Amino acid sequence: MENQNNHKENRHNNNRRRQNNNAQKPDGPKREAILDLNKYKDQQIRVKFIGGRQVVGTLKGFDQLMNLVLDDVVETLRDPEDDSVLTKETRNLGLVVVRGPTLLTISPVDGSEIIDNPFAAPE
Amino acid sequence: MLPLYLLTAAKNQPILVELKNGETINGQLVNCDSWMNLTLKDVIQSSPHGDEFLKISECYIKGIHIKYLRLPEQLMDQAKEQNLQNMEQRNRNNQKRRGQSSNPNANSNASANANSNNSNSAPQRQQ
Repeated sequence: MENQNNHKENRHNNNRRRQNNNAQKPDGPKREAILDLNKYKDQQIRVKFIGGRQVVGTLKGFDQLMNLVLDDVVETLRDPEDDSVLTKETRNLGLVVVRGPTLLTISPVDGSEIIDNPFAAPE
Repeated sequence: MLPLYLLTAAKNQPILVELKNGETINGQLVNCDSWMNLTLKDVIQSSPHGDEFLKISECYIKGIHIKYLRLPEQLMDQAKEQNLQNMEQRNRNNQKRRGQSSNPNANSNASANANSNNSNSAPQRQQ
C-alpha cells in the first residue's frame, strides 16, 4: 500500500517536473507528435522513402514510431538507368507494413496535382 | 538564437526546404518538433532536377532528411522581438508567483499565455 502511494507521488513529481520544463521554454520546439495520422486513415497517401522509392496506398494503421500499415499499395517504378527518374510503370504490392525510420515524406493523394513550373521567370 | 527556436518562430510563414536527395519543398510551415520534423501546407514539391512540380495540400517531412531550410528575411527580427516579449511575460509571471503563495496552476497558465502569444492563435477571452 505504501509502495503504491510512493509510486503515485513519484509520478506526480515527474509530471510537475515536466510542466516546469515546458514553462522554462514555452516558445521552443515541441516534443510531441506534430502530425495526427488519424485524419488520413482509410485515405490514400503518397509515401516517399530514403533511397528514392515512392508508393501510394490506403492508410490502415500506424504507431508512434510512424510505422504504417498500407493496403492496396502501388509502387511507382524508377528508370533502371537513372534512379532519380520516376517512370509511368507501376507494380502492385498489396498489403504492406512500412517502417517508420525509412520514411522521407508523407502527403495525401487527395488534392495533389502535377503543375507547370511555378517559379519560371515570365518570358 | 537557436536554430530550432528560429524555425519555431517561422510558423505560419512560407519556407523552402531542401532534402538530402535534392528535392525542394515550398510551403507554409504548420508545425515543427524538436527532431525538425515538419508539417507544411499549400506545398509545391520540386524534383531534384527541377523538371517536375507537384502541388500538394499538406506534407509531412522527416527532419533527419533535411539538408537546409530557407526562411523569410525578416524572421530574425520578429523572433528576437517575440523572445523579448516572452521573457518579460515570464518575469512578470515569476514575480506574481513569488508574491502570492505557491499556486500550482500559475505554471501552466504562464506557458499557455506565452504559447498563445507566440502562435497568434485564437485570442483567449479573459474577463
